[in-house]
Amino acid sequence: MVVVGIAQAAPPEWWKQAAGLYKGVTIRGVSESTPPSKAIRDYAAPLFEELTGIKVEFEVTSWDEMYTKSIADLSRKTGIYDFIYVEQDIIYAYLVQNWLTDMTALMAEYPQLTDPDFDIEDFTTFINYFKDAKGHVFGIPFEAFLKSYAYRKDLFEDPEIRDAFKAEYGWNLRPPKDWDEYTQIAKFFTAWGKRKGIELYGHVAQAKTHPCVAYEMVESIWPAWGIYNWGINLEKWRASVENGGTLNSERAKEAFRWYVDMLKYAPPGVRTYTWDETAAVMGAGKIAQGLIYLENLGWLATDTSRSVVTGKIGVALPPTYPGVMSEAVRGLGYIGYYDGGAFGIPVSSRKKEAAWLFIQFATRKEWGPEFAGLSGAVCRKSTFASSKIKALNEKMGGYFDMLRDRGFLFAGAPPLPMHRPLNELYLKWISRAVAGEVDPGEALDALAKEVDNLLIELGY
Amino acid sequence: MRRSQYKAWGLLAPTLVILFFVGLAPFFYVIYLSLFQYNIWSARGMVFAGVNNFRKLVFDSDFMHSLGIGLIFVVTTCAVEMSLGLIIALFLTNRFVGKGIVRTILALPLAIAPITIGSIWVLLTNPDIGPLPYVLRKLGVDYNIGVNANQAFLTTIFMDVWHWTPFVTLTLLAGLTSFPKEPFEAARVDGANRWQILRYVTLPLLTPVILTVLFIRIMDTFRIFDEVWMLTSGGPGTATRFVSIEVVRRVLVSTDYGYGSSMSVFILYLTIVVCWLLFQMISVVGRKTREV
Repeated sequence: MVVVGIAQAAPPEWWKQAAGLYKGVTIRGVSESTPPSKAIRDYAAPLFEELTGIKVEFEVTSWDEMYTKSIADLSRKTGIYDFIYVEQDIIYAYLVQNWLTDMTALMAEYPQLTDPDFDIEDFTTFINYFKDAKGHVFGIPFEAFLKSYAYRKDLFEDPEIRDAFKAEYGWNLRPPKDWDEYTQIAKFFTAWGKRKGIELYGHVAQAKTHPCVAYEMVESIWPAWGIYNWGINLEKWRASVENGGTLNSERAKEAFRWYVDMLKYAPPGVRTYTWDETAAVMGAGKIAQGLIYLENLGWLATDTSRSVVTGKIGVALPPTYPGVMSEAVRGLGYIGYYDGGAFGIPVSSRKKEAAWLFIQFATRKEWGPEFAGLSGAVCRKSTFASSKIKALNEKMGGYFDMLRDRGFLFAGAPPLPMHRPLNELYLKWISRAVAGEVDPGEALDALAKEVDNLLIELGY
Repeated sequence: MRRSQYKAWGLLAPTLVILFFVGLAPFFYVIYLSLFQYNIWSARGMVFAGVNNFRKLVFDSDFMHSLGIGLIFVVTTCAVEMSLGLIIALFLTNRFVGKGIVRTILALPLAIAPITIGSIWVLLTNPDIGPLPYVLRKLGVDYNIGVNANQAFLTTIFMDVWHWTPFVTLTLLAGLTSFPKEPFEAARVDGANRWQILRYVTLPLLTPVILTVLFIRIMDTFRIFDEVWMLTSGGPGTATRFVSIEVVRRVLVSTDYGYGSSMSVFILYLTIVVCWLLFQMISVVGRKTREV
């Protein structure tokens, strides 16, 4: 409702005038079911329809279905969708196929359709992921957030827990700097939960046989252990150590063994968790610490109808392997995933102009603080300056400060146009090791070999 | 051609055109694709591969594993469903209070979409909050389908049995209630007991129906997807990665259209062979039944 109020405060004349030619047109879009997408569907789209007379049919669906539908439409050039969700990691695939409309060219061609207040310079550096080599924009971000370390501040500050932890491990309980510290905290809280007869665990993971388990390894765990770009050497386009990659390196194996071993400190159902459940169990108060997508931080920290830990969540940079943090500071690596998505216009759309108007409307500055409150997602620099965000920052454990000041330590997915079939291979071998079918080391040897073969087969 | 024949073909034409576009054209397109190396993310585009995809298929341990566990799944579920369905159907031929209610309850799972069945079982088997793990834990069984491959596989079997046994029951019941009375009366006059009537009269008469139901269930279980996709997504590891899941992952996720198409063609071939065998059996049994 607040969102509606803010948007209505903006003058509607320009939108009415710009959309005059397209009144009565229906545009269709598809997106993943994320809080900003739902807000756009529920608030922005009806308002846009009211202002412009352009009807918006916006499907907000599961991640898998969104991809299946988008790729089917894009590859067959059917023109079903006029705007689609372009996640940061898929942009390279779409650009290689020339599936997306060049928005820089669109703006030049239709200056009368570009909102004078749109201010593309106001977008954070996250928009750079949606540019091609020439710097042309192919997607306008509407959500950008980190996957990082979240913990129960109330538990970490509890004097009884702090004393018990110090007595056992000899150091003061605080967010961990490295994986050994993380492991000690995980062990401690899982044992603490058992001792006290409460459902509390020291670790959580998205370990279901699902693409999410592969993403967790390549986006969060391996980078923080110093294995970047999915273990693939992007110059040689190979993953195995013998061909110049790092996917089956000793470090990668050590990290993977650690990942599988740590599942014993997570709730019993951890192998049925995707990215949704990891946040849900934290919201249920069962988890003391973990790496989670911080798009969930909004509801975790403030929505009492969904979270029993409102006001109790802290965030910090993820623990890292020795030397990784300094590599990230120097721009030689990264410590975790900078996730998010943008709206793009398929080249097959027959209503590009109307879609462009809607995308501008949905990503305007005025929405920024509201989306940030809903999902911790910030795409515009001006959002950080908002008083609402400054107030929320306290409730969200200083997350917005971290995003603004330390966001550069995180990175989006590497430029792998074939990332979908690659993910499928990673999923196969990672899930086999997580299920105990194969040893993690053997799994990575086999995976590296299959990745090399796939890259050769695809012509890389 | 006579005028009436023109008219007949004219009336059939719309159906034939639709059948061509929704049935034959995609079928030939899949065969065509199966002869190419074609992944939309490939830098090389579409490359003619001849029968290489089929050669690769034979040595693909993942595909063979899917096929293997798929066959075990088919045999197990069909055996259990047919046995259980027959027993319940025979029981339902008796008169008892509440028979109508039992039949209605039996029909309920059939009215639920497979994807919903999967969702229900996700909740039932959730290791954190599900009633099934809770009850089994009380009985000393550590039940966790996210960890234990055998439990996950057995759960998919149990789920399918729960969902489809009523179909077998109701179909066999329809067969049982449609028999003529004479053979049963003659058997009783000849002094046959209940077991002998079942063995020598009921089952032979019911065999065509049994084989038809079995035929339908084999086809269905072989291509099971929705429930398992929802419940385990093929996991843990590859424990429940049945052949349809393998194909979907290959075609929709990996977008490996060429190889995925060759898998589809191979599965179609297998299905046709099994169908043909069963059809032969149904024909032979039908002939023998008519002779009796």
